[in-house]
Amino acid sequence: MKDKSKLIFIPLFIIAIIIGLTAASAFADDPKARAIMEKVDAREDGDNQISDMEMILIDKKGRQRIRKIRSFSKDKGEDILRLMFFQHPADVKNTSFLTFDYDNPDKDDDQWLYLPALKKTKRIASTDKSGSFMGSDLTYSDMTSRNLEDYDYTFYEKTKEKEVNGVKTWVIWSIPRSKDIVEETGYEKSLLFVRQDNFFVIRALHWVRDGGYNKYMDIKKLDLIDGIWIATEMHVTKKKGKNTVHKTILKLNNVKFNQGLEFNMFTVRRMEKGL
Amino acid sequence: MESDNTTLIKKHWTSRRRTLNVAAVFFVFLLFSALLPPFPSFAAEDETLDDILSDFDGDNPEIPGNTIDDALEGFDDGSEDDILEGFDDEIIREDTKKPEDTKPPSIFTLDGYARLGASYAFAHDKPEKEETDWRGLSRLCTELNFELNARFSKLWQGRVTGKGAYDFSYAIKGRNKFTDDVLDNYEKEFELGETYIQGSLTDRLDIKFGRQVVVWGKSDNIRVTDVLNPLDMREPGITDIEDLRLPVTMTRLDYYFGDWSLTGIAVHEIRFNKNPEYGSDFYPVTIPPPHEDKPDSDLGNTEYAASINGIFSGWDISFYWADYYNDTSHIQLVSLKLPPVIKRKHARLQMLGTALNVAAGNWLLKTEAARIDGLKFFNAPGKTWSRTDILAGLEYSGFTDTTLSIEAVNRHMNGFDKVLELAPDYAQQDEFQWTARASRNFLNDTLNITLLLSAFGGIGEDGAFQRFSAEYDITDSIQISTGIILYSSGDLIAFKNIGDNDRLFCEIRYSF
Repeated sequence: MKDKSKLIFIPLFIIAIIIGLTAASAFADDPKARAIMEKVDAREDGDNQISDMEMILIDKKGRQRIRKIRSFSKDKGEDILRLMFFQHPADVKNTSFLTFDYDNPDKDDDQWLYLPALKKTKRIASTDKSGSFMGSDLTYSDMTSRNLEDYDYTFYEKTKEKEVNGVKTWVIWSIPRSKDIVEETGYEKSLLFVRQDNFFVIRALHWVRDGGYNKYMDIKKLDLIDGIWIATEMHVTKKKGKNTVHKTILKLNNVKFNQGLEFNMFTVRRMEKGL
Repeated sequence: MESDNTTLIKKHWTSRRRTLNVAAVFFVFLLFSALLPPFPSFAAEDETLDDILSDFDGDNPEIPGNTIDDALEGFDDGSEDDILEGFDDEIIREDTKKPEDTKPPSIFTLDGYARLGASYAFAHDKPEKEETDWRGLSRLCTELNFELNARFSKLWQGRVTGKGAYDFSYAIKGRNKFTDDVLDNYEKEFELGETYIQGSLTDRLDIKFGRQVVVWGKSDNIRVTDVLNPLDMREPGITDIEDLRLPVTMTRLDYYFGDWSLTGIAVHEIRFNKNPEYGSDFYPVTIPPPHEDKPDSDLGNTEYAASINGIFSGWDISFYWADYYNDTSHIQLVSLKLPPVIKRKHARLQMLGTALNVAAGNWLLKTEAARIDGLKFFNAPGKTWSRTDILAGLEYSGFTDTTLSIEAVNRHMNGFDKVLELAPDYAQQDEFQWTARASRNFLNDTLNITLLLSAFGGIGEDGAFQRFSAEYDITDSIQISTGIILYSSGDLIAFKNIGDNDRLFCEIRYSF
């Protein structure tokens, strides 16, 4: 009897190890996938940028709301300074949002919000960036850069490459390394489609932590401005099963780089004075 | 009589507990809704991918190994929904282009809003004969606000704002049933709001002259160092936050150096709180107030203020000083001849304070402290008093689309004398106030729900109110809001006999 149980136990043990190793390998960091993501991260994304952002928010009944923002950004070493002035709708006009997005993953970003109705600038303390950005399907984490060290990257196990709209892409899992990152971004995991010719993430499928949603991010227009590739139209669709729950069309207009923005542009003084 | 008092006290406490309990239930509900995911989560396991992918595969969802194709199908033709038509089969458009020249913005822009607001008092008892009947409709107000902005150059700009309002509730209920004070101050209002010119004199020096609001301190719900602008206190808890602070004419200079700024302010317009008028249901006693002696807005009465503000990574600190008139008046005997003459006077105060913000993860710590000198009271003629106010608060933003905050302040009267507790001063040696606020956005920021509890004393024994409100954006320009506010009477003069003023309120606003 003992021998029989051994006979059953040993194969089960081996199978368990194999399954465990397979599962581990599925989410272990793949140096080749990481190398691609490092190239994505290193891709020239411009400096001293000014743009007009328009977000069309569409609910499941097709009702549209529009948000317009004038955006300024500047690199400070590896950190990114960003100042946004909300211009539409009327009830949020002149609200401004200042962010110091630090490259150091151990340092919390600094954020301030100027509320013209209160005539007050308020510091925002939130490492949770999973909240909706101005009611859109983008989160605050979508608006800031990701630290590669926070994720494991591995090729999608079914296929490493895929052609999307006539261009070749790598298909890469992005798996948060800690629960803190899941909490911060709101995403359990993401499947990224990286163009092979310019290392641009042109599609992403995000598994949203709360609510049972999936979020489809799809670049619809890429412009080469001053030698820098930039997505000037992006569609973000939040779905639950087959049903679209909400959709955001984000457009960037009047994109300009190398505008010689001064550091004193990215101050509370400037945000309170308005555009 | 004692029995009557006991009954009244019991009724009062029952009412207070009832309202505090209602608020507590709301607060717990909101807290739980903040902690829980907005909808039941469905598994984000691997099979979810297959499910999702097969959802987008119209041909053969059962074929194993075709999940990536399905995923791509999901992006390309994923829905029969009209919303997604623009999404279907659309390839990436690429363009190489030079930056466009943007049109310069126009010098003048006009914004504003029109709104219709109503409130309904539902807790008043039937009045005695000759008394005002406060039951039912307590406000039906139309209001037009405008804001004209002018951008003269990169460095100079100006603003003119104003409003006109008319409250139909008095005409509907009968104007003869209200005091002249109420009709004069509540029925119609035309007012110039923030009106100023602002510019930069040098790279580091800014000037702003005109009617304006200057907000000091880090607290959001309690004022300690925020002393420069008076408040509209006519309907406590109901007044819109954007209308709460009343602008006054000032000259403000700001000098910036590194992470610091130095501000100097001269306040030319002497303006005080708008308090409940005699005859209003928030007016605490049954006799009219003594005449108010308001200092003129002349050079000799100019108020002065200064601050130093530092903004750093993860924390901010400010230091404040102000020499100003107390917005709250005290009663003073000005003539001993018969009949004696008493007036309401505003003492000149000096405030020295500081405020600190520290951000750590999802937590924001807020502290403020101030020493105020020059307070005067009826029961201690000829003497001045000082007070020390200390505030601490915490704000938590770790739940998605949710903000929770709590703030508490203790105002300690230094060298307190028991005579200050007597009428008409009703001062306390230690006045404790706390607020708790929970706010959450739903439906992609179209719906916002907020609960605010504000109490004086540990459990609101000195007075309290609780406000539960919801705002919903029908369109980008049309917003509706509704809510309920529950009052608890208390020992503080402002909260005496207001326990029956509970209101339901609603508003529709069109912004342009």
